[in-house]
Amino acid sequence: MSGAANVSRRKFLKVGAAGSTGLLIAFYCPAFAAGAAGADNAIEPNAFITIEPSGEVRLVITRSEMGQGVRTSLAMILAEELDADWARVRVVQGDCDPKYGDMTTGGSMSIRSTWDPLRKAGASARDMLLAAAAQTWKVPKSECSTNGESVVIHAKTGKKLEYGALAAKAAALPVPKDVPLKDPKDYRIVGTKRARVDGRPIVIGEAHYGIDTKVPGMLYAVVARPLVFGGKAKKFDASRTLAVPGVKKVFEVDAVEMPPLFGEERKPGSGHQHYLWGGVAVVADSTWQAMAGRKALTVEWDNGPGAEESTEKQRAELVELLKTPGKELKKIGDPDAAIAGAAKKVEAEYETPFLAHMTMEPVNCTAAVSDGKCEVWAPTQNPNGMATALASALNLPQSALTIHITLIGGGFGRRLCIDYGVEAALISRAAGAPVKVIWTRDDDIRHDYYRPISRHRLSAGIDAGNKVVAWSHHIAAASTDGTFLGGDIPDTGGTEIAGVGLPAGAVPNYFLQQSFLHTAVPRGYWRAVDTNWNHFAVQSFVDEIAFATKKDPLALRRELIATKEKPAGSADNDGDAPVDVSRLLGVLDMVAQKSGWGTALPPGRGRGIAGLYGFGSYVAHVAEVSVAKDGTLRVDRVVVVVDCGQVINPDMVAAQVEGGVVFGLTAALYDEITIAGGQVQQANFDTYPMLRIGDMPKIEVHLVPSHEAPGGIGEPGVPSAAPAVANAIFAATGKRLRRLPFQTQELAQA
Amino acid sequence: MDAIAITVNGLAHSVEVSPDTPLLWVLRDTLGLTGTKFGCGQALCGACTVHVEGEATRSCITRISAVAGRKITTIEGLSSDGQHPVQQAWLADQVPQCGYCQVGMIMTSAALLAKNAKPTDADIDGALAGHICRCGTYQRIRAAVHRAAGSGEAQ
Repeated sequence: MSGAANVSRRKFLKVGAAGSTGLLIAFYCPAFAAGAAGADNAIEPNAFITIEPSGEVRLVITRSEMGQGVRTSLAMILAEELDADWARVRVVQGDCDPKYGDMTTGGSMSIRSTWDPLRKAGASARDMLLAAAAQTWKVPKSECSTNGESVVIHAKTGKKLEYGALAAKAAALPVPKDVPLKDPKDYRIVGTKRARVDGRPIVIGEAHYGIDTKVPGMLYAVVARPLVFGGKAKKFDASRTLAVPGVKKVFEVDAVEMPPLFGEERKPGSGHQHYLWGGVAVVADSTWQAMAGRKALTVEWDNGPGAEESTEKQRAELVELLKTPGKELKKIGDPDAAIAGAAKKVEAEYETPFLAHMTMEPVNCTAAVSDGKCEVWAPTQNPNGMATALASALNLPQSALTIHITLIGGGFGRRLCIDYGVEAALISRAAGAPVKVIWTRDDDIRHDYYRPISRHRLSAGIDAGNKVVAWSHHIAAASTDGTFLGGDIPDTGGTEIAGVGLPAGAVPNYFLQQSFLHTAVPRGYWRAVDTNWNHFAVQSFVDEIAFATKKDPLALRRELIATKEKPAGSADNDGDAPVDVSRLLGVLDMVAQKSGWGTALPPGRGRGIAGLYGFGSYVAHVAEVSVAKDGTLRVDRVVVVVDCGQVINPDMVAAQVEGGVVFGLTAALYDEITIAGGQVQQANFDTYPMLRIGDMPKIEVHLVPSHEAPGGIGEPGVPSAAPAVANAIFAATGKRLRRLPFQTQELAQA
Repeated sequence: MDAIAITVNGLAHSVEVSPDTPLLWVLRDTLGLTGTKFGCGQALCGACTVHVEGEATRSCITRISAVAGRKITTIEGLSSDGQHPVQQAWLADQVPQCGYCQVGMIMTSAALLAKNAKPTDADIDGALAGHICRCGTYQRIRAAVHRAAGSGEAQ
């Protein structure tokens, strides 16, 4: 569903004067979450463009910039249809404001949700500027044109007028109806490489992230938080802390209940785990003094029941969950009978761990609460959710809040959570001053909302003709939504199954079941979310079937991708189109061709393939690996083919995919959050390593030319990295690694 | 707390902080030079890299007392106008994504090129082995260092 299609034109677009001589265009962009409460009820303009008398075109960005280039790409879409001079387009980061509607940045949705309305707004504005010029010159509008330089031209007379000079007159004209959009062959900006509009401040050290906030009278704070999930400070001794020079105050922060992230309904007593961590705050004149003060602090903790948890127990529980039937989510035919009666049966179990986000900019927030007002400077992907939580925690109306959205040093879903904003506000209120709360790296990794742990049981039945006739997938995982909405999520079965889709509808008998692990470890949204764990299992299992049936892994995928049905739980948003078989096959075929699929490699090396439809895009990966005799694994090369429909900025698409591959590889090769005694055992980059430059494979990204509607690109580069490598390891060694991160010691030759 | 004298980007400062304060926090909190970033606090990620007498140095574990009287260069002082070849190469190759780690990458790359005008991939990987980019921009970083190395030469 394209949100704009449901909006009446009268309400979609409004124009007016900007100041006395400019043109203001206000229009409606649909929300991030199709199901979010109120998202489609109030269709008032929530996006704003001005054309200044100087000719400057200004777009208010109502999404968060965290490296995905959204400030640049949204401006490019607008400039294209407006036929504006790219050099005179400026972006302004909007603060959180009800007039901007839902400002959430996530789900690889920013371009998908703004592509239509931005183009229509740009085209309408251009049409009004043409009309204003035609009136001025007393010539037919049809004789006027634009050339991408922010001027209207009358070719017959050679007259020209700048957009800026026409803005005031255009503002008085009626809004045009059904203005045609450009033919993509005429694009001057969309589809071309453009430098980031905010690149220069980054390389000269002037880009201001949340952590760089400084406001008058500001103090600095760190917080001693409970190491066991659900723990509380029983008592604390601050005497040594208060003796540290510069330490001003030490006080307890309560673990307050937090509202759901996206305005959802939560049932009372649902067993959600969405509380502020709580703990003991140390407020000082500088960051280092606050850290030194915390080091001197003694806290006695009440650990609570969370202390019983361990990764060992969680893994064992997942094994048990797979032994009894789960909630039935999709059943086609009679899968049990088909597998029992099959000529051949293939079975396997896969496992993925808890993961942390580890954004390079540690979690932080600055808040100033006084006189019934609250101002925060937040590196956040979810300003609206933070506003709801702040209003509730501070007992203030939303009109008393000002939330500045800063540049973000990496989001990946961590900053959809809102805990740190509320924490900063409560600390500022108690301190009686503006406070910047900084999380150290160990705070950040130990108080994350983790990508859930999961285990999968897959079974397939193969008939006498060597065809897959039955497919069964049982997912056991901790639930992401359960953290925020409730432990049992009783009525929402069917979520968190993105990435299971491939064979549904392509095999006559299909079964999908789901079981949930109960845990005190909070779970959250991690780049590509559930697609990661489900897709790893499915794409690995396809390869196992290929081996069992002596088929080429690509050939088997071609055989299984035979459905027009939308993959079960393709994630995504209700509006996503059903899978387009030709596009999925297209990226698989092209990645095979670009990677040299099927050509010989030296011993110890292998290639693996995986392909995804998700986030509105089609993406296929081929990984090439080397495995040494001692089991040392090296990923040499990853070739990715992307069909994300109309590309806005090919360089940024490539960058997102390069980064997505690294993100997926980092998790697959190295990372696991483990729990012992209810505590996270990792503390920094030494115990939770990242892929570094020396491990970097050669990554080649190829884009399929397309004028289909744009798909998302921040996330779909991630999920196939792990299964493509697992499949390549099997090709190189004949050994199948079914657990992430890869336990490469199993690859050592005796 | 005695005053400690340091020179940052050519300017002499006298700072009154505890002598165990890391240079990073003096730069950020005391002098307001926030271009240098906090990433890990343990010299594991490289985001806090500055030059001390031209050497790439992790400011998060360098006590202020250890750099008293020494010349420190931060990203704000690497060039007056963003024209350092490394900065220019970073823009030409559109290296940054979120950008948070990039200042550290740039400072180490600039120190590398000052000593080794034509680094190989292995030289670059070696110099930047202590750095982390969570956005995964390493391929572009390598290309940009090569570009910066080339830009100083007669064509």
